[in-house]
Amino acid sequence: MTTQLGGNAPKGRGAVSICGSAAGRDQPRRRSTRTTAYAPFVTRRLLLGGAQTVGVVLLVFALTEALPGDAAVALAGDQPDPARIAAIREAMDLDRPAYERLADWATGLLHGDFGTSLASGRPVTQYITDAFGPTLLLATLTLALLVPLGFGLGVLAARHEGRLVDRLVSSVTLAVYAVPEFALGVLLVTVLALKLAWLPPTAVGYGTDLLGHPAALVLPVLVLLSRPVCSLSRLVRAGMIDALASPYAAHARRYGVPGARVRYAHALPNALAPAAQQLARTVDWLLCGVIVVEALFVIPGLGTVLLNAVAERDVPVVQGLAVVFGVLTVLLNLGADLVAHRLTPRAGVAA
Amino acid sequence: MTTYHVTTYRRFALGLTVVAVPLALALLGPLFAGDPGPRAVSFTLGGDHWLGTDFVGRDVWHQVLLGGRTVVLTALAATALAYLVAVPVALVSALTRVRRLEELLMRPLDVLLAVPSLLLILLVASVFSPGAAGLALLVALVNVPDAARIVRAAAGEAAARPAVEALRMQGESWWRIAVGYVGRSALRTLAADAGIRLTGVLYLVSTAAFLGVGVAPDAADWAVMVDRNRTGLMVQPWAVVVPALLIVALTMGTNLLFDAAFAPRVVPRVAPPEVPRGGVGRLRPRWGWSRRSPRPQGGALRKGGRQP
Repeated sequence: MTTQLGGNAPKGRGAVSICGSAAGRDQPRRRSTRTTAYAPFVTRRLLLGGAQTVGVVLLVFALTEALPGDAAVALAGDQPDPARIAAIREAMDLDRPAYERLADWATGLLHGDFGTSLASGRPVTQYITDAFGPTLLLATLTLALLVPLGFGLGVLAARHEGRLVDRLVSSVTLAVYAVPEFALGVLLVTVLALKLAWLPPTAVGYGTDLLGHPAALVLPVLVLLSRPVCSLSRLVRAGMIDALASPYAAHARRYGVPGARVRYAHALPNALAPAAQQLARTVDWLLCGVIVVEALFVIPGLGTVLLNAVAERDVPVVQGLAVVFGVLTVLLNLGADLVAHRLTPRAGVAA
Repeated sequence: MTTYHVTTYRRFALGLTVVAVPLALALLGPLFAGDPGPRAVSFTLGGDHWLGTDFVGRDVWHQVLLGGRTVVLTALAATALAYLVAVPVALVSALTRVRRLEELLMRPLDVLLAVPSLLLILLVASVFSPGAAGLALLVALVNVPDAARIVRAAAGEAAARPAVEALRMQGESWWRIAVGYVGRSALRTLAADAGIRLTGVLYLVSTAAFLGVGVAPDAADWAVMVDRNRTGLMVQPWAVVVPALLIVALTMGTNLLFDAAFAPRVVPRVAPPEVPRGGVGRLRPRWGWSRRSPRPQGGALRKGGRQP
């Protein structure tokens, strides 16, 4: 249903705002209506973003601490020894009412204080800063490759709609899209690293200095890319096919505008809005994918820290990382919705 | 009559073929698995064991036969549970005239939508040790917001049709309108969404199992097998490769199958008008007025099918 709306939009202001400032200057009235319509949307979207941030913080707290029953007993888990339960209770202030702990924790978050680990007593922020590098490197590399690859494949398929190239790209992306990273990763490791010995199977021994060993990064980035590239290129393809079949593209062709210019200057910007949103959802996937890929290739990043903390039931570390991941997702989705709304003002992008 | 591309049938058949092997193994495997037999040495190849032995010396083929059921059943249960919550919420909020009620139902879901799904599952797993049922509940929970939004959008479109107004004026009951008309109109969207959702749920369930959520550390589960037997990948690749391939086939096939099943029906495409070489000057105005003129209003009523 979004595509229907998106399909209508390019005929009007969406196309004007991107494809040429000249057209914009001819229609000053239209421009002004758009900018006034943009402000309330931004306000509403920012409010929702704020609510989502608060919601994430509350949810993280509720799921990990405000449990029915005794949290200390649940956390002690396999070793229900009274001394350990008492230690956990004291470390987490479980004797105080939940709302007081929530208030303390939330104000701490505002000051950048994420609490201290139950297992080691180190501050959670230290965990985060230590592990941030590898994860950021993985995410940046993946995103840097994702955008050209996703758009390139999408435009390529749309250009040859219905022909062999398109069918090949479409079916491969459709097939790979659904495959979990761990299964694909393990198979790639078996073939590329163990049978052919082209690449190292894991990043064991490289520590956080991954840039010094680019060969160790190839497989993780490849696996991380697999799903997002597929979803992005499928969306770009669909958007491009709609845009290329639209009256304004046909009109541009009638004027004798070269094909490449029609594709990249006129059609692509209009296929961009849904893709921009998908890109943000993709980053959400990347966060999930990073956890799996770091576990698979033994990379000491945030995902590994999170998994270790989950295994050790180290609640403050889990909470801190969950807040970081959650707020990051909220912000990225917010940014993407604002960009998408800017690109197709009429579509009324769902917040 | 609906017509589909020949290629759509072909893709449907392809999806069916790819998904058949893992699905048959998952559902029928446990019936043929039989006795586990004595444990042997870890990570051996050949001998009595067709696919070798795993990390604790169990027969890999036996584990493969047993390991698909949890993945498939958990995924199916989670998908069903998600709709069990999402559809009523969506129908109520589509049909209510109390705006506040709609906000109350849908806004909290927007907040939940902001949390990455795997993160939510790990968050709960850090405190509880959810079993297979717990995992199904969790996966269902993270799928509710998106499912509700999609069904709400489809139902909202149907609820705004004049037919619903007519039904209301006839004094039909809420149930009759909601289930008999609005729900039925949203059914196709719901079915298409269910296919996509099942693929996503399969992904989430198997990934969670790989990370050790909702399963015992030595469970007979394809994802767990991939995780636990990774240490012996050099010596005994089959204990990892076979379950990984089965998971790949299962997810890939499901996606191909549902994509083909809900492929858009073929609309006879109007050939684009030939562009004369000379540019716009020679273009004659097209007989286009009638296409833009308002359509007869009866269409909306007929579109929803037989009146209940």
